[in-house]
Amino acid sequence: MNHYELLFTHIGTVLHFQYLIPLLVGTIAGVIGGALPGVTITMTVIVVLPFTFGLDPLQGLAAMIGVYVGGSAGGSITASLIGIPGTPSAVATTFDGFPMTKKGEAGRSVWVGVWSALIGGALGGLCLIELTGPFASLALQFGPWEFFSLFVFALSMVAGLVGRSVTKGLLSGAIGLIVTIVGADPIMGVQRFTLGIHQLEGGFPFLPVLIGIFAFAQLMPDVELIGADEQAIAARPTQMNLKVSHLSVLWDILCRPFMLLWVTIIGIVIGVLPAIGGSAANIMAYDQAKKFSKRPEKFGTGIPEGIVASEASNSANVAGSLMMIMAFGIPGDAVTAVMLGALTVHGIQPGPLFIAQHPKVAYGIYASYLVALPLMVAVIWVGSRLWMRIIMMPKAMLIPIVLVLCVIGAYALGNSMNDVYVLALFCVIGYAMVKARIPLAPLILGVVLGDQIESNMIQAVSTDADPWLFLTRPISGGLLAASVLSIALAVWQHNRETKRLAAAAEEEFDTDF
Amino acid sequence: MMLSRDGIAGLVCLALSIGLFALTFGLPPAVMVPVGPAFYPRVVILILGILSVILIVFDVLAMQRQRAAAVAPRATAATAGPAPNYRLVLATFVEFGVYILLIPLLGFRISTFLFVLLLEITLEWPRSPRHWIVMILVAVATSLVCFYVFEDYLSVLLPRGTWSGM
Repeated sequence: MNHYELLFTHIGTVLHFQYLIPLLVGTIAGVIGGALPGVTITMTVIVVLPFTFGLDPLQGLAAMIGVYVGGSAGGSITASLIGIPGTPSAVATTFDGFPMTKKGEAGRSVWVGVWSALIGGALGGLCLIELTGPFASLALQFGPWEFFSLFVFALSMVAGLVGRSVTKGLLSGAIGLIVTIVGADPIMGVQRFTLGIHQLEGGFPFLPVLIGIFAFAQLMPDVELIGADEQAIAARPTQMNLKVSHLSVLWDILCRPFMLLWVTIIGIVIGVLPAIGGSAANIMAYDQAKKFSKRPEKFGTGIPEGIVASEASNSANVAGSLMMIMAFGIPGDAVTAVMLGALTVHGIQPGPLFIAQHPKVAYGIYASYLVALPLMVAVIWVGSRLWMRIIMMPKAMLIPIVLVLCVIGAYALGNSMNDVYVLALFCVIGYAMVKARIPLAPLILGVVLGDQIESNMIQAVSTDADPWLFLTRPISGGLLAASVLSIALAVWQHNRETKRLAAAAEEEFDTDF
Repeated sequence: MMLSRDGIAGLVCLALSIGLFALTFGLPPAVMVPVGPAFYPRVVILILGILSVILIVFDVLAMQRQRAAAVAPRATAATAGPAPNYRLVLATFVEFGVYILLIPLLGFRISTFLFVLLLEITLEWPRSPRHWIVMILVAVATSLVCFYVFEDYLSVLLPRGTWSGM
């Protein structure tokens, strides 16, 4: 069977109730989670995670892909209607979506976002299907030197690009690596840093660490503000007319095909870059669309181009992230990091051999992604009035439920309270990091890649003890050079930004006095 | 010498790296492979330690610059949003901690009901009898729906309590 025959066979499989129901439920959960201000897609996928443990791998992944696709589009509903991005990946949607709503075009504002997400996602899906195989073939050429360098590159890039301080980004990545050195060493099985606690002998389990890091870090900032934003909540509209001509909305999107294509490519490329995710893709695509527009001065006043740029890139970003995890086993963002954890629970290790060893799951992922896109449109279409009500759900009721599901997610992994205690420990660490303004993404990538960095390093020096091979092998050396360059570039950008802010502050100071 | 949150974070990480580095001396040397179980942890711990020192130094320098300029409070007062309610945060942490300690004693159903209800009330005091009823119903539903969905449909056995037997 060729590539596309396999794909269509698996689309047929995913359309069976057995897979369609988890996909639908995941999409609904994603739309709701994405639309709820303060609840990110990562949080939603963490909440859905425990429900997938009892399912077969493809059913579980279908549910998560539904969350991912639904959440990416759901965030735009709140961004357009109330000017608050439901998720960080919908920030740029507020720039034009909310002004459009204020002009009385709420329906157009929401649907330009939703249809853009569908089209951007479909174009991204095409790249996902066509490019994952070649990427995996490239990864098969890699030896332990190259994998070591690739993981170091991924980590250095994330640490440099996420957050305002390069030092804090790198520090966060180093903390992630520290988490992975606890427990048995990969060669001799010697116990390290367990302090005599036998529950730590297997190391910190990945999923409870991830759930813990994100749970309190994402919920507590909302708890801090409970009561403070009551007036803003009371002022939110509860009913809006979302009726619109869908043909005119589609024309709004398709009449600028080159811009659509360009922002989609930006979304895919950002998705492929490790752990940066949609929060960067939508801003970067918006910026690019503005730069290439014939009417840049209109951006921010409620024009469709702004929404198209943000939502198409955001949706395509999902495909890029999936591509990276399937070909290299490196998560493109926090959501795919959770998916990676879910795959390992089912005994599946994503990486270069993933498509060859698990074609059913791999093609199932492609198929689920493609089916999830129209499903997302249908879910938003059918439930548009309901979503308006749901986004008004009080935080006081939502937060306890989310925390209970986090506990179940950690517990269900091994039917053990030890995992729940690990979750609690990392809840504290996650919140402390948020308060210290240390970014969380590098830590997560450090936890995901730590073991692999160590085992590839040991495998490399055991094969040939010459450490210079890391530098003299072309791909490995190139990746290490790129790591140094990415950090240097991040430091340069950071210094330039600091100087610009200092100059602006001085100017303000002068005008005041 | 005063440090901001960056400096304090740096100090905590530095203390962690010193402690962990000391522990690596208890690890056995390499056998048959060029690097032993202590090699990689030492590299990672050293990186953490160096980054912590950089963070502390940057923080000290920034504080000195701020003292020299002495303009910081004016800017922060102008841009400050609503003050964070740390009492609620602390209460959430404490209730969550008590919840996970109670699960093995009271069982999932009872402890989840108590946790959800108590946290709901803590985060937003019910304004009317109807509000009370809604909150109680949410707590009961969360506890029972989670229990039966996971036990009956997803083959996840949730913990029973040693005190309550359920």
